[in-house]
Amino acid sequence: MNTDVTRREFLATVAAAQGAFVLGFWMPEKAQAQAPVPEINAWIVIDPDDTVTIRIAQTELGQGVWTSNAMMVCEELQCDWSKVRPQYASANRDAREKAPEWTLKVPGDGATDPRGGGEPTFGNRDRTGVSGIPDSLYRRMRTNAASSVKDGRYYLQLAGAEARERLLLAAAALWQVPVAELTARDSVVSHAASGRTTTYGRLAPRAAATPHPRPETITIKPPDQWTLMGTERKNLDVPAKVTGQTVYGIDIRLPGMKWAAVKACPVYGGDVKRYDFDAIRSMPGVRSAVQFPIPDPACTRGRIFSGGVAVIADTWYQAKTALDRMPIEWTVPPENAAVNTSMMRDALARAIAEPGRVRVNEGDVDAGFARAARIVEATYSTPYLARARMEPGNATVLVTGDRVDIWIGDQSPQETRFSASKITGVPEQNVHLHLCHLGGGFGRNGNGPQAEHAIMIANQMRGTPVHMLWTREEDFIGTTYRAMGLARLKAGLDADGWPIALDVRTCMQRDGFGPDASFDVTSRYYVPSYRYSSHTTRFHVPVGTRRGVGQAAHEFYRESFIDELARVAGKDPYRYRRELIARTNLPYKADMLKALDMAAEMSGWGTPLPRGKARAIALEERGAEGNGSATISAMVHTVSVSRAGKVRLERVDVAHDTGFGLVNPLSVKKQIEGQITWFYNDAMHQGTTIADGHVVEDNFNRFPLSRIAEDPPEINIRFFPTSHWLVGMGHDRATSVQSAIGDAIFQITGKRLRDLPYSKHDLSWS
Amino acid sequence: MAFDLTVNGRAHRIDADPQTPLLWVVRDHVGLTGTKFSCGIGQCGACTLHVDGRAVRSCSVPASTAIGKPVTTIEGVSPDGTHPIQMAWKELDAPQCGYCQSGMIMSALALLRDRPRPTDADIDARVTNACRCGTYHRVRKAIHLAADLMGRAR
Repeated sequence: MNTDVTRREFLATVAAAQGAFVLGFWMPEKAQAQAPVPEINAWIVIDPDDTVTIRIAQTELGQGVWTSNAMMVCEELQCDWSKVRPQYASANRDAREKAPEWTLKVPGDGATDPRGGGEPTFGNRDRTGVSGIPDSLYRRMRTNAASSVKDGRYYLQLAGAEARERLLLAAAALWQVPVAELTARDSVVSHAASGRTTTYGRLAPRAAATPHPRPETITIKPPDQWTLMGTERKNLDVPAKVTGQTVYGIDIRLPGMKWAAVKACPVYGGDVKRYDFDAIRSMPGVRSAVQFPIPDPACTRGRIFSGGVAVIADTWYQAKTALDRMPIEWTVPPENAAVNTSMMRDALARAIAEPGRVRVNEGDVDAGFARAARIVEATYSTPYLARARMEPGNATVLVTGDRVDIWIGDQSPQETRFSASKITGVPEQNVHLHLCHLGGGFGRNGNGPQAEHAIMIANQMRGTPVHMLWTREEDFIGTTYRAMGLARLKAGLDADGWPIALDVRTCMQRDGFGPDASFDVTSRYYVPSYRYSSHTTRFHVPVGTRRGVGQAAHEFYRESFIDELARVAGKDPYRYRRELIARTNLPYKADMLKALDMAAEMSGWGTPLPRGKARAIALEERGAEGNGSATISAMVHTVSVSRAGKVRLERVDVAHDTGFGLVNPLSVKKQIEGQITWFYNDAMHQGTTIADGHVVEDNFNRFPLSRIAEDPPEINIRFFPTSHWLVGMGHDRATSVQSAIGDAIFQITGKRLRDLPYSKHDLSWS
Repeated sequence: MAFDLTVNGRAHRIDADPQTPLLWVVRDHVGLTGTKFSCGIGQCGACTLHVDGRAVRSCSVPASTAIGKPVTTIEGVSPDGTHPIQMAWKELDAPQCGYCQSGMIMSALALLRDRPRPTDADIDARVTNACRCGTYHRVRKAIHLAADLMGRAR
């Protein structure tokens, strides 16, 4: 029951829902007319007119979660899909209520049981919400790790099933007939024997008032019984996105709201020494200036950002204009201010030469090298990378004596709730976080301090709603970075060109994410002797989980090296990969072979191409080292390079596994298309450098984003079924663009490039 | 410092410095938030709207340049999302996060006015908005579909 939701929270939640009111404006007087409708369970509210509201506990940032989460609930609810309306779940209730008992146990037998709930990853709760939250109302409110479907599916299906069963029980009680004689379909309950029917809308109040007697007996539908899941559904948030009606965090407007523009010290770890507010005091609209310290690392997952100062004004442009003219002096840690990219490269190179932490050591690598017919060695490097979502960081915060309200697009509201409480001293139970759509995410941005900045400012202006908005330049300072990386791969080949020993070393800063991805547990391509060590150093740049996490760079290293080995061996890179996978005993070996074969076949692998054009193939996998959840694909990229050195990704052929079933294949296709663009940018254009301790590429003139003219004219996607649940679709698909463009450049120009992005190299040929 | 601006066919009295970028006047004074801020330097196109029928990156032009000229934003394309370009976008499910899509649609609409049957090269040259989600593949198809739908309507 949601009777304890305050009127104010209800209003705000509704205001943030799409199309409910005039966009972005919080209008309590209008909302008053709508009385709350009783909910069936925490995920489902059914209005008398059969409108079904589904509470979504992940954030819609373009991945389609508003639609896929709703599909998982509605598959079981068996309601009329045309009357479904998603709405954000309340992060405040999540702080105050426990999850229903029936959501706590994952049904079935893990990742390879089609009838079960798969393999959700819930850690033990820690206070900040960084780890899993197994028992709070909405379980997992994070939007990260491509895991919204993997982790949420079973309990979202259960939520739909529990509500359906209660609606059926309500009808059985109403008609005094056995529940087994009733059917539910498209929001109608029917009793065939008597010909009676009624609607969910009419049954809802009774169902809402009557708990299910034995919810633990409710089961979820396996994929062979799905009728809604597995079908292509257009995304429910799209209509509002073509009319400008969608409410992002930046669009929030509140009565009496002031705007804050922010400058944080560009050198991480730096702080404000002094600023001269008097110099701008009389500028139009300017109200005040507010200083804030380096955000408490307890609120930013240990990352050290910077202190800064905000100018408060009636409009944001006034605030920003005044801030630009306000003299500010910084206190900068000299050791950080001395850092630049070339020093960091040197430090990585030193660290990778040291003995690292050996994670895998199979066979005898050194003996293998000693008897190898040929040794191949290559060093690859990848730069720091920003996420650069299109919506700059922002949050609107109102702090009063005993309550905090935050309007924000946020990938980790449970963490932000913790931050709000820590900064203001208001208990988490009184923090009301109103989720908005996000203008891109690409890595849990809760670990950047957009919310913390806004809360620290608003906490000094209690009673006034403050909308803090970063400039693009501030967004580049405030984001966390994908760690800069280095890898050294060394293989000993036998006389036939097959690897007999492989030594892999990867290196990134100590707090970088995914340090073992793609190389952990076992080599994916067969080699009798394999050693893998990870190496670290310390840098001051704050790093976080960016799309692809460790997989993105590491698959670039691995697949590039396999291409190099195949070339040295004089073998076809597709058949070379195929043979090396076939020699393994990996549990999903057949799936990887299927992906390679299908992508090769789709692409016309082996058929002649004109000079200046080449194909390259690569395998993408997450989870192939184990026998749990996995996502497996292969892609062939057809690439041209003009004599002047202009690269064009011409065509992409994608063979992708579905696991036991995709929830919304349309969203999956969009995710694959989008990630082709993402990793094309990683491969070709993007790199963040550090000078004097600060980020150099701080806007899109220096951190380029590809445009439609570079989009591949042809993308072909085919799916094949596999016998495991997927890990996820949102972040490490199409990593192959990186190695494939590299190998195509090699085929066409003879140049082997191992340092991303490629555009910084001369790619011309004659 | 007040001045008059006509946005989506409605006259507005604006009490702001006329040198304020048109984007911020539209968002904060007119109150239409469909037009987005992203880079602030005219690079990405998220702020694209029409002034006198031409696509303009509104973060980088003063509002004064639009005085006396009709301004059209995403909210003015149609009252209910049924303009052929919006229908095409919905049919192809083009947006992902959607943040750049207002600007993308406004750029595409200006192109379609000038070239009712745009080639891929026309699209490459004229629709230079940045999309971080990578919706380009569907956006291109949607522009061609919109051209078909608009051609049929003529």
